[in-house]
Amino acid sequence: MIIKNNKINNTNIKLNIKVSALVIASVLSLSACGGSGDETTPTPEEKVYPSYTDITASGGDTTTFDASESGHGFSTPSPNLTAAELELHLEGDLGFETAFTTAPNDAHPELDGLGPVFNNTDCNSCHQRDGRNSTPQIAAGKTRIKLGSEAGIFLRISKAPDEPCLEGTAANNYCAPIAVPDFGDQLFHRGVLKARPDWEQNKFIGQADVYLSYETKAITYSDGSSVTLKKPLFDVENPYDAPGETKSSANVTSNLLQDDVLMGWRNGMPVFGLGLLEAIPEADIVAKVDSDDANNDGISGRANYVFDAVKAQAGDSNPVSLGRFGWKANTPSVRVQSLGALRGDIGITNPLFPDESIKGTSLHDHYLTRSGFVDTGAGIDGEPEADAEFSDSVVFYAETLAVPARRRVADADVREGARLFERLNCSGCHTPSFVTKASGDIGGAEMIAGHKSQTIYPFTDMLLHDMGEGLADGRPDFLADGSEWRTRPLWGIGLTKTVNPQAGFLHDGRAATLEEAILWHGGEAQQSTDDFMALNAAERAQVVDFLMSL
Amino acid sequence: MKHFTHSVVAIALISALAACGGSGSDSTPTPEADKTFSFTATEMVTNLTDDVIVAGYTDLAARGAALFASTQTLVATPSQANLVAVQEAWKAARQPWEQGESHIFGPVDSLGIDPHLDSWPLNTTDLTSVLSTTTGFDAETIKGWNDDVQGFHTMEYLLFGDGVTTNTKMIADLTANERDYLMGLAAVFRDYTEKLDDAWLISHDASTGKAYGELLKTPGTQDNTFYSSNVGVVEELIKGMIGIVDEVGNGKIADPFGADTSSADTSKVESQYSWNSLTDFSNNIIGVRNVYQGELAGAADKQGIVDFVAAADKDMAARVGTEISNAILTIQAIEGANKMPFRQAISDVEGRKRIQTAVDALSKLQTSLESDVLPLLKTWKV
Repeated sequence: MIIKNNKINNTNIKLNIKVSALVIASVLSLSACGGSGDETTPTPEEKVYPSYTDITASGGDTTTFDASESGHGFSTPSPNLTAAELELHLEGDLGFETAFTTAPNDAHPELDGLGPVFNNTDCNSCHQRDGRNSTPQIAAGKTRIKLGSEAGIFLRISKAPDEPCLEGTAANNYCAPIAVPDFGDQLFHRGVLKARPDWEQNKFIGQADVYLSYETKAITYSDGSSVTLKKPLFDVENPYDAPGETKSSANVTSNLLQDDVLMGWRNGMPVFGLGLLEAIPEADIVAKVDSDDANNDGISGRANYVFDAVKAQAGDSNPVSLGRFGWKANTPSVRVQSLGALRGDIGITNPLFPDESIKGTSLHDHYLTRSGFVDTGAGIDGEPEADAEFSDSVVFYAETLAVPARRRVADADVREGARLFERLNCSGCHTPSFVTKASGDIGGAEMIAGHKSQTIYPFTDMLLHDMGEGLADGRPDFLADGSEWRTRPLWGIGLTKTVNPQAGFLHDGRAATLEEAILWHGGEAQQSTDDFMALNAAERAQVVDFLMSL
Repeated sequence: MKHFTHSVVAIALISALAACGGSGSDSTPTPEADKTFSFTATEMVTNLTDDVIVAGYTDLAARGAALFASTQTLVATPSQANLVAVQEAWKAARQPWEQGESHIFGPVDSLGIDPHLDSWPLNTTDLTSVLSTTTGFDAETIKGWNDDVQGFHTMEYLLFGDGVTTNTKMIADLTANERDYLMGLAAVFRDYTEKLDDAWLISHDASTGKAYGELLKTPGTQDNTFYSSNVGVVEELIKGMIGIVDEVGNGKIADPFGADTSSADTSKVESQYSWNSLTDFSNNIIGVRNVYQGELAGAADKQGIVDFVAAADKDMAARVGTEISNAILTIQAIEGANKMPFRQAISDVEGRKRIQTAVDALSKLQTSLESDVLPLLKTWKV
């Protein structure tokens, strides 16, 4: 565990309600689209509703209103795409569902190149219906589950650094996680049939077996009601460099099982609205940085600055950009995130990442020798396994999925929930709104017109926050320390289980409900969580009602 | 996610209709007649859940069990007759599965069952290696393997001919190890189909969660975070119909069909070894008919999406019903008088004409569902 230098003072929270009577008037006039409608009789204490209370078009012109009630809520093309853009989006949609196979595949060479070790065979398996993956369920009578093809969750791995990395330079690899020797920075629990040297005993097994189990704890409210929280634990066994070994073996020899190897779960995230998040002006994100909590509100958002493969490929002498995507904001663009996942999670090399992620490890060397060098990460033409056309279309797809419209905005409980959301200072990190930039590039390519100057309501500041011991995995990632996580966007969150009934919330899916997710918020969010717990049951439900409307 | 090839016009139409995200009243009075309509969807949703979706999955689970039993018989007594019995059991299981693709949401997706059962294309290279290096195939071991060496199409590959010149297979050409593998695969198949049925009837996550069927029938109730109202459920059902019509017309048929005879690609034909492709495709659209009409073929009339549409526009309801029937008939007609399999028809001049007729019928149906039926959600006074 790495201790943060800047301790947060949680004692002086200032509510951040910036709503004037003028705003109230404008909110009421905004109600043309499913708005608040009739004003209730004024109460002795005039209630103040935040300006986003009645907003329905969370994604501006990219909002979908024709799929926002069903499991297709995350899967619809932005309605403001041109015909040519829609065609490219749909091409990318096919790519997103493409399941890759072992090389060589003579009948379908366009599909081969899987792995040789990987976490899943296609994008959709970890982003089911473009949303989150399913949370693994442990069968009755069992204490743990071995991750297989149903798992959309995996472990990130790295060596603990000797000291915190505070500024990225070429010399320190830009503060990137330190690869585990002979493994890398992601644990691939699956493989092609012959991935391992001992494949005949371990068919379709990757670098190691990963088991998931849960520990639980109860949280009790002052009214006596309680919620059981669960936290996923992991056991890593049978690594390829020491078959059969576990952490409790008498003599641990595997590189993977050493005490200084850090590991943390990562879930798949929804993939809609990402182009809009990338189009938020960097200055507007950085303006919210408050590393030392200068305003003394207990919240200290920090920016992550990460290696940018697009810049590096373009020859930039300082290939670093603001981190925007990933659970720790460790990727700068949809392009790097998507193509990094294509190469990592699935094992499909591409123009941005032309080398296999396990290149240079003894697993890869052994595999290539045994298999006659037929699956090197390059096709017979010397080109990567996925070509530029495929790669570009998948990136474009992830940039251009519509944001689902909000639902039930006129519902009294939803509106009260919005008011409480503001009162609890949830918006201190979950920044309601941004306006996207009017011109420029995203991911090294010119942004489309449909993303320009859009007023969006993602409810994220895109910054890192210390979320406390309970959520920490102790694993730094570029400038993010082991306790920091990027604020998750909340748009669409109410459709999570409509899209995938078995989805969970937070970086490892530990929260089965939004209430559980709130209760896990610690660190900089502790005061908001305490204030949430101090609400009565009806008010707590209203907060959740508001979130469910997003 | 399964995509819909929205036409730009359709998108524009839907977008324009969605300007205010709800059925709400138009603030500017127009001389146009009120197009809103009322429909109480509870009975329809209950019926579609119980009598169409769950009934289909229960049937699938029963046929999965029968398929496994037939493989046990084949392993115990290898004979041509027993091999043919397994082939028939495979085709029988294929029917409710393909019909169920018209509502491929919920546990079939969240439990990862779809790729376990129906991954395509196969990984014949690994399949060959597995068979040559393994003896004794137990279900739990197979479940740990990749999806492209298990499920319907791996069984099909073992059970039938090469699909090029014949779909028949002689028992002498099925080794003892292949028969064992087949039995292991069928055991896995039985387990997954049972799990799917249980998810709708007992627990959606095979754990503490409620039955998915109950949750679908009670949207908007306390602690039901799946659907906030019947609007979501009806949207899901209509989108499911659109999804499979799109996939059959623009994927399953169009991908191998290609632009012309020279670009036809037989390697992309689903169920090519068994020559069951056309049966698969027609079952897909029969699945659409099941959801639309509200009952499986031959069952008593109950409420389906047709009743929702009829509440708004009786003529539209009848027209869409006719278009569904026409799509099924034109797919079935692809085989022509000489019973040509789809795999061969894509390379045959006359066959291609018949295929084009079916594609046109599917396209027409898709347009109606997207441009006429789906927008009814906006004028529905819930």
